[in-house]
Order: sequence, then C-alpha cells, then structure tokens
Amino acid sequence: MSAAEIFWQLLRGAPYTLLVTSVCAATGLCVGLFVAALRRARIPGLQVIIAVYAYVFRGVPVLVLLFLAYFGLPSIGIKLSPLLAMALSLGLTAGAYLAEVFRGALASVDTTEIIAAEAMGFSRLQIMRLVEFPQMLRFAVPGMINEFTTILKYSPFAYTVGIPEITKQATALTARTLQGIEIYLCVGLLYFAIYRVVLSTIRLVASRYQVPGIGNS
Amino acid sequence: MALLEVRDLVKRFGETTILNGVNLRVQKGEVKVVMGRSGSGKSTLLRCINRLEEPTSGSIRLHDREVTGPSVDIRALRRSVGFVFQQFALYRHLSVLDNVTLALRHLGGLRRNEAEEKARHELARVDMTEHRHKFPAELSGGQKQRVALARALAMDPDVVFFDEPTSALDPLMCREVAILINRLFVDGVTVLCVTHDLTLARLISDRVIFLDRGRVCAEDAIENLSSGHADPRVQEFFGQEASGR
Ligand SMILES: Nc1ncnc2c1ncn2[C@@H]1O[C@H](COP(=O)(O)OP(=O)(O)OP(=O)(O)O)[C@@H](O)[C@H]1O
Ligand SMILES: [Mg+2]
Repeated sequence: MSAAEIFWQLLRGAPYTLLVTSVCAATGLCVGLFVAALRRARIPGLQVIIAVYAYVFRGVPVLVLLFLAYFGLPSIGIKLSPLLAMALSLGLTAGAYLAEVFRGALASVDTTEIIAAEAMGFSRLQIMRLVEFPQMLRFAVPGMINEFTTILKYSPFAYTVGIPEITKQATALTARTLQGIEIYLCVGLLYFAIYRVVLSTIRLVASRYQVPGIGNS
Repeated sequence: MALLEVRDLVKRFGETTILNGVNLRVQKGEVKVVMGRSGSGKSTLLRCINRLEEPTSGSIRLHDREVTGPSVDIRALRRSVGFVFQQFALYRHLSVLDNVTLALRHLGGLRRNEAEEKARHELARVDMTEHRHKFPAELSGGQKQRVALARALAMDPDVVFFDEPTSALDPLMCREVAILINRLFVDGVTVLCVTHDLTLARLISDRVIFLDRGRVCAEDAIENLSSGHADPRVQEFFGQEASGR
C-alpha cells in the first residue's frame, strides 16, 4: 500500500478522533466551569464532594475509568454508549484538571474589581458571570490549550471501546498489510497535523477575545 | 432635611473599635470632605454607609430612609451610591464604554444602544469620549479615574463617594481632580470625599470634617482647621500636612 493510500484510509478515522476530542473537551470545560463556580459559592458540604472528585479523577488512570464506565457499569444494569463512556472518563478527568486551571486563573482576578462590582449593586451571580468568569477564561487560555491537547492525545483510548477513530483504523490496516512502520508514522503525522489545527483554532478564538492587560499582550 | 445623615455610627472589627460614634450630615448638592490620618477609619466610614461593611450600631439615613438593618434592600441602596475607588477598579476585560454600560444594562435594565447613549453622555462629561474604545490597561491613572467617575455617575446616584481620589495619582494631578469634582458641584451632584490631601480639600470644599480615632473631632472651615485650631490633634495633622508640602 502506498503512503497516500494509507493516509486516505487513516483519514476515515479522523472525524471520530475529532468527535471524541471535542465531546471530551466540551464535557471537561462544562464540568471545570461548574466546579469553579461551586467552589466560589463556598457551600460547605459541596467542597468535600469536589475535593473527592478532583482527587479520584486525577489519581486514577483514564483507561481504568473508561473500562469501569464501559465494561463495569453494565454489570449493575447501566449500559453506556462508547462516546458517553469516553465523556465520563476522559471528559471528567479533563474537568478535574481544568477546574484546577480555573481556580488558579480566578485567583488572578483583581479583588478590587470584585468589590467595585459589589459596591455598584451587582449580585454575587452577576459578578461571577460579568466580571470574574470573563477574566478568568482569558487568564486560563494557556492552561486550557494544555488540557485540550492532552485530551487529543488520550483520544486513542476510544478505540478500546469500539469507536473507529484513527488508531483503530491503524490497527486494522496493520493487521491486513503488515506495514506497521509506515502506518504508525502516518498516524503520528496525522495526530500532529490535527494537534496543529486544534492549536491554531484555539489561538484564533482566544485572540478574538484578547484584551490589553490580560495575559500575553 | 439632610440627604445623608449618619448618627452615632459604631464599627468594630472584633475587639478594635474603628468608628466610635460618628455623626455626619451631607446636604443635597453639597461637596463634603472627610479628613483624618491614615487608619482613622475614613474608608471604613464610606464602606459602612453602602454596607460593604456591616455597621456595628448607629443609624444611617439616606433620603430620610434608614439603610441599616436586615430588611433593607442592600443592592438597591448600593445602586443609589456611586463609589470611586482609590485604585479606580475598572473592569479590565471591558472597554471604557462597556465599563460604563455594564451597570446600566444589567442593573438599570437598559438596552445596549440606550445604555451606550447614556454612557457617551457620561464620558463626555469627563472628557473621555475619544478614549471610549480603549481598555483600562491603555489609560493613564487620571484617565482611569475619569472613567471610574463616569461609571459611577451613569446610574444617576444620589451621592458619589470618593476614597482618596488623589493618592494613586501624580501630585500634579490634584488640580485636575479638583476641577472634576467642582464640575460635579456645579451640576448639583452630592459628593462625599475622603482624603488626606489638604490641597485637594482646599480646592473642592469650604467645610471639612476631621476624623480621629473613630470620632468626628472637628467640623469647620478649612482655614480655621489649618491655622491654629484649638484641638491639638487637628493642629498636629494639619501642621504635618502643611509642612509636608
Ligand atoms: N476588615 C477589617 N478587619 C479588621 N480591621 C480592619 C478591617 N478593615 C479595616 N480595618 C482597620 O481599621 C482601621 C481603619 O481603616 P480604614 O481603611 O478605614 O482607614 P483609613 O482612614 O481609610 O486609612 P487610609 O488613609 O490609610 O486609607 C485600620 O487600622 C485597619 O487596619
Ligand atoms: Mg482608606
């Protein structure tokens, strides 16, 4: 098989890789933001739950969580789709890390601005939505880029639960053609290309919201 | 009837008493200056009036309505009090224009275009129209202060508080700040200004309240305070300030 043919074959997995990556990134983003908001609310009992969540999801390997969700849960009668299992393992793990990123970014928001907003009569929720989070997201850009690319690099796990993404295509091709070196070099190149595309997309979006005085300007 | 009347205001932080029975009246349209050494409780006084700090006891009446106590709508109270902070505290992710429109849109219920129209008007008042698309990081200290003032004025507050309006600025800016505040006086805006800048006090007000150890220990024309006042604490403060320049 020629390199072009290999590439073409692998490319059929690319939409799945992107799907898995974006679903997990979206899950991580939502959960991370939610956790950051809950932390801000300082509800006593909740803090413990959040701490346990962060502790567990940062300490247990993603693959173990994935197998637990996909192969473990059916034994208690919960059957998940492969994509949902990915979201609950890789997505929630990303959420735990992103929550940390957001916590750090939130600490960079100037308290005098928050007090000024209080003094103007904004509610706690409005301050979070209008002042803290918009600034936090800008401070968090480097950390988010880091986490999103990590998700991309963990996305091959999806093949273990039957999602036909790039790595899955590669294993099938290798079994058929025995051209392992060529195939996995192509896989590496393809991931790298996707990585670059994802990176520039995030940078483009971030630069659209970039403001003088926050972050790298 | 005074627009703002503070009676026997006490504020304690744990064991330490910061305000120990402060009495104060501000008439509508008046520019009132509160002076006192660092740590005398000037900022705390302002923060108690709009309930950023909970007063320990005493009464605060705005428009003859009591604003202490649990049943008061604190957010409504705060909307009616403009606050210009020492460090200006502009929202740095928002342009100058958006800094002014934020409260109008989210507290005043104005649509974007209505809010922008109002904001343009307020920015024109402080000569900042041409800078409306800049961000706080692109402004000088004096410009930030003007925006902070426009932001405070946009909600048509009953009274505007200034906390040390000159201390974060170049000493030469004092006159500019005074011009700005005097313009408010001409427009009939009520101002309560805390400062230890004697030059500023002279330029914006003829009567000054002197705060010491949590109490008002003098209220008088600034000339009388600064030239041989009977109270030794007043004498000491103004003596220092005068020789410091
Ligand atoms: N939240 C707080 N908890 C405990 N003590 C406080 C608190 N806020 C202020 N204080 C104390 O109250 C005193 C008065 O503070 P305040 O900021 O009102 O003084 P000030 O007159 O504004 O001083 P400056 O001229 O330096 O701004 C200070 O000794 C300060 O340490
Ligand atoms: Mg102060």
